[in-house]
Amino acid sequence: MKRMALVFTVVLSMLTVVGCWDRREVNDIALVIAMAIDKEPNGLYRLSVQVPLVSSLGGASGGGGGTSGDKSYYVDSAVGETIRVANNKIQARMSRHLYYAHHRVVIIGEQLAKEGFSEPLDIISRFPENRLTAYIVMTKGKAISLLEAQPQFERFSGEAIREMVKAITIPVTIKDISQMLNTPGVDAFLPIFEAIDSQPKGKSKEIGATGIGIFRGDKLVGKYTSQEVGGLHWFQRTFDSFSTLLDLGSGQRFSVYFQKGRANIEPAIKNGRIHYNIRIYTTVGVVENMSTYDLSERKVNLMIEKKLEKDITESIQKIINKTKETRSDTIGLGIILARNYPIEWKRKYRDHWNDVLPHITSSIESHVQVSNVGQTTTNITKEDP
Amino acid sequence: MKFPRKEKDRIQELIDTIDACSLTELEGIPLFPELEDNVTFLKHLFSDCSDFVIREFKQKNSVHAIAIFVDGLIDTKEVNQALKALMILEDGDDSIEVIEEDLLPVSQIAKVDDYKKLLQAVLSGDTGILVDGNTEALTLGIRGAEKRSVNEPEGEAVIRGPREGFIENIRTNTSMLRRKLKTPRLKMKSIVVGRESNTNVVVAFLEGITDPQLVEEVSSRIAKIDIDAVLESGYIEELIQDSMYSPFPQVKYSERPDTVAGALLEGRVAIFVDGTPMVLLAPATFWMMMQANEDYYERFQMSTLVRWLRYLFVFISLLTPGVYVAITTFHQQMIPTTLLLSIAAARESIPFPAIVEALLMEIAFEALREAGIRLPKTVGQAVSILGALVVGQAAVQAGIVSAPMVIVVSITGIASFTIPHFNAAIALRMLRFPIMIAASILGIYGILVVLLIIIGHMANLRSFGVPYLSPLAPLSVGDLKDVLIRSPWAELQKRPSFMGIQNARRMDAGFAGGIERDKGQEGVQGNKHSNEEGSS
Repeated sequence: MKRMALVFTVVLSMLTVVGCWDRREVNDIALVIAMAIDKEPNGLYRLSVQVPLVSSLGGASGGGGGTSGDKSYYVDSAVGETIRVANNKIQARMSRHLYYAHHRVVIIGEQLAKEGFSEPLDIISRFPENRLTAYIVMTKGKAISLLEAQPQFERFSGEAIREMVKAITIPVTIKDISQMLNTPGVDAFLPIFEAIDSQPKGKSKEIGATGIGIFRGDKLVGKYTSQEVGGLHWFQRTFDSFSTLLDLGSGQRFSVYFQKGRANIEPAIKNGRIHYNIRIYTTVGVVENMSTYDLSERKVNLMIEKKLEKDITESIQKIINKTKETRSDTIGLGIILARNYPIEWKRKYRDHWNDVLPHITSSIESHVQVSNVGQTTTNITKEDP
Repeated sequence: MKFPRKEKDRIQELIDTIDACSLTELEGIPLFPELEDNVTFLKHLFSDCSDFVIREFKQKNSVHAIAIFVDGLIDTKEVNQALKALMILEDGDDSIEVIEEDLLPVSQIAKVDDYKKLLQAVLSGDTGILVDGNTEALTLGIRGAEKRSVNEPEGEAVIRGPREGFIENIRTNTSMLRRKLKTPRLKMKSIVVGRESNTNVVVAFLEGITDPQLVEEVSSRIAKIDIDAVLESGYIEELIQDSMYSPFPQVKYSERPDTVAGALLEGRVAIFVDGTPMVLLAPATFWMMMQANEDYYERFQMSTLVRWLRYLFVFISLLTPGVYVAITTFHQQMIPTTLLLSIAAARESIPFPAIVEALLMEIAFEALREAGIRLPKTVGQAVSILGALVVGQAAVQAGIVSAPMVIVVSITGIASFTIPHFNAAIALRMLRFPIMIAASILGIYGILVVLLIIIGHMANLRSFGVPYLSPLAPLSVGDLKDVLIRSPWAELQKRPSFMGIQNARRMDAGFAGGIERDKGQEGVQGNKHSNEEGSS
């Protein structure tokens, strides 16, 4: 009985003394879905957060209608010497606790990207609420403008960006970018998103992926347009299929879809010069045939394969050229060299790889196989020749 | 026959000292040789007992005798037949032996020589015959009390399996068990418990299978009980269990003869209590509470699946409200964003913190459940409609309780109903509340702390020497085939080893693996061939 009394006392004091010190109800927190970081001309950082207005999301019936028109989120921003200072300023005028555990995307403004974005990223890796699995993108102009866009499909632009990063571009998480920044022999790149007026001009501002920004260190040095990005796909760890236009000239056009792809990169050091042998293997499917060709014919397939091989080689050549020009190694050529020539890499190239880059040479070869032309061989609306 | 004056005085004295007394106090008081004294004494004892009948009569040889019985407990027709034999037909000696052996055509008959035994038999429904000049009496086992017919047990319904359930009469119950196990090995030790109730308790076991020490322990624990009355087997259960304060039942009960027979075959002991259809089975383990008799009748794949479902739902019924409270108040990062947004939207207009909401709903649910059991069936329906409408619909619409909370509570409720043993389900339902409170104070950490305490307690618990979590803790791998899964019968060759069993094999080693399967189909064909050969 005495023991029971003791246990009871301990439990009771546990209940009363501890007192739920970091208890936080769901409706006491402001979930940050996306955050944007800009650099102001005066050198301060501007932190913008996108917070859903939970009450206007339409929960249970009787949950009270929306209070701010049809907007289901709210964007606030503040300027500060550090991100935390800016956060505190926003918090000072917000009735709910800013909660970062659910942010899905971090947007870097163009100015910040140019001046180097690694400083403000520190808080994301240090503060435990933040997630390293959040995606990171950059934008043209001010990052906050992307948060204010109103895509039609998703309730929040942050959500839309997350979905698009996964589906359309080459996704880069905060973990990825920190690895890219810390590994010699590879340079960072970030997908670029922009707010685009929907066509025909409606009230929504959609968000579109418009290319990829190339970084040397943490500073923006160049961009690939959406068309140029194609070449970069071949060098990713996992191949995401994508489609491209195949123009055979004189109005004969196809759309093809790369189903599988793989790049073999073999470096060689001869007489102090670095040479890369790049071979691409891919299988494609034809998704659109706007030509008069009959795809069941072997020679048409061969022709497509020839032309595609040429296109791929060209697109990779462009990437290599850009790499030399910007001295930014987004492919990770340095890592490949390090794997094959670890001693030379350590001794000669590692510390000034970006300066070596313009002097590399390369030969590119590509092998394409058309594996799937669809169920109809010719365009069914066109007459049989 | 006249007795000395001194004897008369002694009887008078006895009558004076013994006022309304219980049977135990009558122990050792012998029957008086003179019938007149016996009648006086009995009339004194049973004064104001309108149902106690003393029928005085003369035997055919003119010796005075009485028949005593409790009206309503006997079969009047049969008793009349017995009396007819004494009064009209037979003409014999007046000694009890002669009456027993020659005169009375009654199959169940016994001689008693003291008041305690006599009255115990009579109050249980026997008819007592006292003959003048004898210090012994006869009890005729001609019982005919009203009893319920054998019905399908409501508490343990099955889809496949026998539909009979025990009733309140202990003899009927033991006979139902005997019908399942027709063997002299099935022993039934009788013990009488309760000073006023004098309840018959039968300890049944299979000799040669059950550990004799276990039988000894159970019997001695029951014999030690000193209580005024035992109205239900629950009294016995609480008085003989190992740990008084544990929320977990350490003795299983069942109202099905097949379940009881199954338990006996596993080396357990059954305790029948007169006046209740609930038969106790000991020792019990936690896994026993998770098993239903139907598990053994249905195909093993399905039974295995159902068992896993139950194990899953044990955790759900125990943890769901706690986890919900912990996650929504401490660990919001653990839920997918969109789900969190839905929960947040639903909780937006709720005035209470999650824990208050959870307690409110869980208590309301328990109240509804309790109300549903006690009320007559017609009113019970009204309660369930009221509950569904008020708690489910109106509370959400009024913004007092959030919809996710209603879902959590109903899932918990359904989960706790999947546990076949009501006792165990209640234990888990009770433990849900400390988990919820710990979750509201310390989050998931609090849940784990309480869960560890519960598991530690269960591992510490013993039922008649058998660890409560066996065969999982302490681990005996061979017995897991009837706990983690339900192996096909051909593989369940041995009885559970943790029971301290003597005769471990259920099946002969030669039969192991069932009939020779590879010959199964061929057998018929082979027969055909041989027939053809024979005819040709």
